[in-house]
Amino acid sequence: MKQKSHIKGWLYVLPALVILAIFTLYPIYKSVVMAFYTDYDFFNDIVYAYGFDNFIYLWEDPLFHRALRNTFIYVLGVVPVSIILSLAIAMALNTKINFKPLFRMIYFIPFVTSVVAVSIVWRWIFHGDYGLMNYFLGLVGIDPIRWLTDPNWNMPALIILSIWKGLGYNIIIFLAGLQMVNTQYYHAAQIDGANTWQRFLNVTLPQLAPMTFFISIISIINAFKVFDEVYALFNDRPGVANSALTVVYYMYNKFYGEWDFGVASAAALVLFIIIFIFTMIQMYIGSKRVTY
Amino acid sequence: MNSKFKLSLVSLASVALLGVGLSQTVNAQDDQIAGGEEVEVVFWHAMNDAHQDWLVEATEEFNSLHDNVTVVLENQGNYGALSQSLLASVRSNTAPTISQAYGEWMLDYEANDQLVDLTDFIENGFDEEEPYEDIFEVFREDNTFGDAVYGLPFNKSTRVLFVNNDLLEEVGVEAPETWDDLLSVSETVYEEAGVIGFGFENGLQHEFPMWVKQAGGEFVDEENNEVLFNSEEGLKALTFINDLINSDFGRIAGEDEYLSGPFTTGDVAMYIGSSAGIPFVENDAGDMNWTTAPVPTDVEAAAPFQGTNITMFASATEGEQEAAFEYMKFLVNGENTVSWAQTTGYLPVRESALESEEWTSYVEENEVFAAPASQFDIGFIEERVPGAFAMKNAMQTSLESMIYEGLDPETTLEEMSQAAQDEIDRAQ
Repeated sequence: MKQKSHIKGWLYVLPALVILAIFTLYPIYKSVVMAFYTDYDFFNDIVYAYGFDNFIYLWEDPLFHRALRNTFIYVLGVVPVSIILSLAIAMALNTKINFKPLFRMIYFIPFVTSVVAVSIVWRWIFHGDYGLMNYFLGLVGIDPIRWLTDPNWNMPALIILSIWKGLGYNIIIFLAGLQMVNTQYYHAAQIDGANTWQRFLNVTLPQLAPMTFFISIISIINAFKVFDEVYALFNDRPGVANSALTVVYYMYNKFYGEWDFGVASAAALVLFIIIFIFTMIQMYIGSKRVTY
Repeated sequence: MNSKFKLSLVSLASVALLGVGLSQTVNAQDDQIAGGEEVEVVFWHAMNDAHQDWLVEATEEFNSLHDNVTVVLENQGNYGALSQSLLASVRSNTAPTISQAYGEWMLDYEANDQLVDLTDFIENGFDEEEPYEDIFEVFREDNTFGDAVYGLPFNKSTRVLFVNNDLLEEVGVEAPETWDDLLSVSETVYEEAGVIGFGFENGLQHEFPMWVKQAGGEFVDEENNEVLFNSEEGLKALTFINDLINSDFGRIAGEDEYLSGPFTTGDVAMYIGSSAGIPFVENDAGDMNWTTAPVPTDVEAAAPFQGTNITMFASATEGEQEAAFEYMKFLVNGENTVSWAQTTGYLPVRESALESEEWTSYVEENEVFAAPASQFDIGFIEERVPGAFAMKNAMQTSLESMIYEGLDPETTLEEMSQAAQDEIDRAQ
């Protein structure tokens, strides 16, 4: 009887497993193996030599270093600001304000809109001569910034777009978290004489810890994988003079442009390891700090 | 209407009908492509708007002429997407029968034995009235790899100078013919009309070979895979470009992406762009009086010929190959290459077409088409080298550092040629 239910269970998950194996596990396996192909006939799938050449190439390629640096800058620029901002907005939306659903919708729209469509709008917002961004900066006396053609401003432009884009999702998660916090805690804290800041620090934050944990893991993984935003914002270019070249963009160029499949796969593997390490660190911190 | 007249009308109509019927039987007999078996030819392309409309119409005509052949058009969006889809499809043995392809793509697929050598088809397949040799040599060469031929030319364009006649007349100057003219005219327009005189399109790495050749230099050596533009002439060209962009009267498309926009709104008086942009400018220009002129020259006259060919993939069966070749030939027959050129701004690919009454009278009425076709004598096709994609990417990075970060031309040239050579070497 027990054996039978086992088989039945496997049958239930079989369709999902098959799809997962074909479209996720096999490609992962293949790209890991491909990273070690040093002499490879792509079209006939014949490997003449294996080795670490692709990794040595990455180690020495200044362009890959640049891609790594840019990706780290991007992650650092996007994730913390995005989390803090979305928490602040979620808390504002959680108070008794009018038109709450309307605001919630406004913040969520960017998340459900296609990146390409959004980026076209942002290309216009960032336009040096008649963009909205420079118009508002002009109102407070700041000189126009060449967001899209000045290499120094490409990355900030990309970060602004990405923060705005990711806000809605984080807000919804935080909002759900905030609504689950038992109001008793706040009352108790108030009786103890805690002010607003103390209540935030000692009630809200600890209660939201699982949400923050979840959001920070998801955000960091997503940020490391950034590609669409770059591709669309700079019109099929990694920014001016590679100023917004990210690791995934580097992979894309190596694979589709240069047919350098081994190097592209090696870069993917490196990125995977980096993300893996960061996630492990977060899990470790999470297991210590998320007490709720 | 008297009965006699009616009768003659009827007989006329029946003669016409008979004629149609006859020509169809003749066709059906002539065109036993692939021995009459049912064949489907899949053609991947990246043509849009007016370009695509023409292609659809021509393909329908071809299909109606051949009972057993169906050519299916599959639009892949743009060249980037086309290139990616091709790579994936060839790898998974699901390649289309034929596709648009740049010379450098063909070089890559040829190196992997994925293309059909068309030499036999060409020897036996062309009519005497419209022989293969009638196709311009530059275009034939672009498809020739050693002894083999891997494609026929299709949409070929060149670069021309777009000129706003209204503005130039207002300040009393003629369209420039040399680099010096280009500078002085741009400056005059700026000083007297307050409009930027000249603009470069983005992606200067694709246009740079032209400027180097005009300065009297060479771009790369195709035989030895060696970069040659790090020369006095190369520096002259790059300095000219840099000075012009940095002057008050010159610019680059930059955020506007294409200069046809600022050109048609009267914000830039001249720019060098693809002749395939003619229909787009025409569409937006409104009442503006504009024309095209041959690209200005320096020590040498040189105009690049760009655009794709149609190539055939090795996975096609013999019948498919035969039918596909017939279609490729059909697209560039005398009549079609002229009507294609008239619709799109691409060039007729046949010498006879350029001399045909149909084309010459059309150019007389539409003078914007004169300049592109006048450049055949000075036309060149960029040398094919392995690793072209990476080479151009590296060049673009250096050029952008010059344009947007103020790197000086000497250093830029040095950096750019080194990076270009590295990429070529790596790809070998």
